[in-house]
Amino acid sequence: MRILWHGWRVLVASRLWALLRKEVQQILRDRQLIKLLIIPPTLQLLIYGFALNPEVHNLKLGVVDYAQVAASRELVSALTANRIFLASSYPSSEQELARQVERGELTAGLVIPPNFSKRLASGDTARVQVFIDGVDANSAGIASGYIQQILRRFRPEAGVLPPTPPVRTQVRFLYNPGLTSSWFFVPGVIGLVLTLIATLVSAVTLVREKDSGTLEQLLMTPAGAWEILLAKILPLVVLLMGDVLLALALGRLVFGVPIRGDPFLLLALSGLYLFVGIGVGIMLATVCRSQQQVMLTAFFITLPMVQTSGAIAPIESMPAFFQALSLLNPLRHYIAILRGLLLKGVGLEALWPHALALLVMAPLLMAISVSRFRSQLS
Amino acid sequence: MPRSSPPDPAHNNAGRSVASVVVSVEGLHKCYGSRPAVAGLDFRVSEGEIFGLIGPDGAGKTTTFHILAGVIEPSGGQVRVLGSPPREARERVGYLTQQFSQYPDLSVEENLRYVAGLRLVSPALWRERRTPLLRRLGLEPFADRLASQLSGGMKQKLALCCALIDRPRLLLLDEPTTGVDPVSRRDFWDVLATLAEEGVTIVIATPDLVEAERCHRIALVQQGRIESLGSPAALKQGLGLSRLELRGAASAAAEPLLSGGAIVDVQTFGDRLDLLVNDAATGEAQVRELFRRQGLPLQELLITAPTLENVVVISQRRRSGELPLLPFPGVQGSRRRRADPAIAARGLSRRFGAFEAVRQLTLEIRYGEIFGLLGANGAGKTTTIKMLCGLLAPSSGEIVLAGESKLLRGPDLLRRIGYMSQKFTLYDDLSIRENLEFYAGVYGIPGPLRQPRIDWVIASCGLQGQEQLLTAKLPGGWKQRVAFGAAVLHDPEVLFLDEPTSGVDPLARRQFWSLINAFARRGTAILVTTHYLEEAEQCNRLCFMVAGEKVIEGSPGAIKAAQPGQVLELVLPQDQLQSATLLLRRHWQPWRVSRFGDRLHLVLDDPEREVEGLQLLLSQAQLSLEGLRRVPHSLEDAFIGTVQRAQAREGEGR
Repeated sequence: MRILWHGWRVLVASRLWALLRKEVQQILRDRQLIKLLIIPPTLQLLIYGFALNPEVHNLKLGVVDYAQVAASRELVSALTANRIFLASSYPSSEQELARQVERGELTAGLVIPPNFSKRLASGDTARVQVFIDGVDANSAGIASGYIQQILRRFRPEAGVLPPTPPVRTQVRFLYNPGLTSSWFFVPGVIGLVLTLIATLVSAVTLVREKDSGTLEQLLMTPAGAWEILLAKILPLVVLLMGDVLLALALGRLVFGVPIRGDPFLLLALSGLYLFVGIGVGIMLATVCRSQQQVMLTAFFITLPMVQTSGAIAPIESMPAFFQALSLLNPLRHYIAILRGLLLKGVGLEALWPHALALLVMAPLLMAISVSRFRSQLS
Repeated sequence: MPRSSPPDPAHNNAGRSVASVVVSVEGLHKCYGSRPAVAGLDFRVSEGEIFGLIGPDGAGKTTTFHILAGVIEPSGGQVRVLGSPPREARERVGYLTQQFSQYPDLSVEENLRYVAGLRLVSPALWRERRTPLLRRLGLEPFADRLASQLSGGMKQKLALCCALIDRPRLLLLDEPTTGVDPVSRRDFWDVLATLAEEGVTIVIATPDLVEAERCHRIALVQQGRIESLGSPAALKQGLGLSRLELRGAASAAAEPLLSGGAIVDVQTFGDRLDLLVNDAATGEAQVRELFRRQGLPLQELLITAPTLENVVVISQRRRSGELPLLPFPGVQGSRRRRADPAIAARGLSRRFGAFEAVRQLTLEIRYGEIFGLLGANGAGKTTTIKMLCGLLAPSSGEIVLAGESKLLRGPDLLRRIGYMSQKFTLYDDLSIRENLEFYAGVYGIPGPLRQPRIDWVIASCGLQGQEQLLTAKLPGGWKQRVAFGAAVLHDPEVLFLDEPTSGVDPLARRQFWSLINAFARRGTAILVTTHYLEEAEQCNRLCFMVAGEKVIEGSPGAIKAAQPGQVLELVLPQDQLQSATLLLRRHWQPWRVSRFGDRLHLVLDDPEREVEGLQLLLSQAQLSLEGLRRVPHSLEDAFIGTVQRAQAREGEGR
């Protein structure tokens, strides 16, 4: 008890304490910062979570039905039954349909020939023509896949029994049985939002001090570079932990993302990642001269970080070179940790390589920042 | 060059009341919340008049400017500018704010063209005015230079240039010369004087009372009210006091003894003592008696008229009382005087690319010494200070700082050093007390000393009861005081002060120097830069820098004595001063002629021979010389002469 009290006395009398106290006072005065820490992350999470959804609904389908029989109508309703397609127009001719697709009024067009039911009845393969607007390659691919799948399975009441497929596959989706794509995205977006905010906020608080000239005064005090930087980082880590909690709560409440792993491990590793994100920001601040410069530079750094991290597009789809490069991207490791802990419920036994990577990067970035910090005024 | 003589507002009522009123202010009030900033101002300014608003920090000067410029509305009272409400007169008014308001990323010409565009100056007029205007302010060679790369003096000239492009009838100048060196300041005022002769009306605020003497009339503003109003001569006369200048080896020792009787005020200026006395004769008798009784030598006793600084200080002291000079807590007696130099630099140079900011500088400053580094803007003073305190690595040369020569950035050394930079060094978003607590903590001041020292700063600044105020809300001069307090909280052995008194009002500046003197007496080595030459007299030794080089070094007395020639002080009627200046500058080298308050100073090598020619020259030009006497070199004469001679040599060398 006595030792604790003594330790406390020493801490309060220390330079680090004076620096910490000043940072906390400044942060508490800064209403703008508090707003910046709450509003943008919330909006970003909601917007990205909903807007980055790759599922396709209500694609507009135009139908030219020359057959006009029960079987053709059955085909149309088979296509529109799961709301992927919406039969939005019934043009009178193929040419009209083609024009509408051209004009972008329709995403897909279907032409059912007059002999449709006759060929089905005779057991032949019935042919239908499909137009797809390929401008949006993503939607086009999905639409084409769906149409093919539905057509292949299409067996009108009158048709023959399906032949037994040579191989039967049975797919079981692990971790995300409903294949809810937001489950994949929300951890990525949490990582993205934390990176953006941690880098920017730390860079701006340091550069502001340089801008106003107080940094020069600070460098003339006996405070060491590590003390000055640590005092800037610690309060920010605490504040940004609030953002972590906010993001997890939003993920849980709005998108229903589970937390299957150890929540304390999740927080600890998130804290570690914040050190890395803040370290990136501080390093930027030591090379930039003004707030404007640091903001623009931060965008150059954070956007590639996000894009090569697997937050949005899977790493496996990148060229091999970038896949290797992304191992140096701290965000990639953090997102792997997030997905593992949130969705898979695994622990350190599976995630240790990622945790180790962060554990190496945090002190490394700090060391670079400290060494740059002292020399930056000349 | 025949020129219609300007209206002389000082004698307006005498008959020439033809000059129309440009600014009229009646019962002006302005409150921010419940706090009155301006509490009933009344004044009128006539056409072609230079009208000075003089007063302490936070007296309401800037608020008055805001109202005259139509930026804010008054809470009460009548304001007419050029016959209409200020907002409607804006197009005919030029306004220079305290902060530099040009775009740093644009060149001089681009800035000027931008303002011309904003003010709808037609292209034809722009072509007609551009070159003469730039030439007049000496900016023509720098038209392509970025505003951010101009020196402080040139920045202010650019700002004035921009204000003049639309030929305003009224100029509002809020401390335009703060942070500007004496040479540029003199140029700036010369331009103002010419403008006034051309009929432009000027309202100006300045903390520099030597230059304030060049105003036609002055209003002393205190706490939002006008304390007194009149021409500088009338104000000085109204004081009803005489000034005694004493010179003697032991004058500093005599200072504490000189009080009571006829003596109203005492101030040390280096090797000189300035006394204000009720009556010259009794005062002189009292001083001589005292020096005789104490056995102190008295080399010289001169009876002169009080200065404007005396007027302002006395009136400010009457109103708000003097700031207390409290003993610095936690130190007993003085530091052991050490023989080794506190700061020593040998062959110090610093290059930025091809530009040599400091060239082969050698300095030595001892403990207990106040060393002044003087020079024009851009002469390399700040670069020198930054190198000496280890913030900037020199390109070549050696530095020894408080016995340390290798590791200038070690925490043990930094703990013994105090530094106050030119920029505001306090955190605007912290309160005054929080700022001081922060610096106390960072310097590791022992617990029991912290509170007394912080209280000492707050009391010395006269800020008791306001320590919870956000620093951002303090007027500039007050911030400087708190920043000085923060820089000395840890009782440093070596103290660097880069323009500590810039923008600080006269009374507070006096207290500043009392504090600096107190620290020096206890053994602290102090390196200080300033643009106020009257306060540079308080340094023990001075060094003038020109273009990165040391030009002259020595005590203020020695520097003045080393000046070539003899200074003649010319007294002329107020309205003839400007034409006389121009005339003399055509006949002698420009550095020899300078305006000094309401007088003219002319440096002649051989006065006996040249004086006759001078008198003839003036009488031929119908200028009436009312007084002519030899005066010793002032530091300002020495500075301007030295700098201009060095610059002329530089120009020849190229």
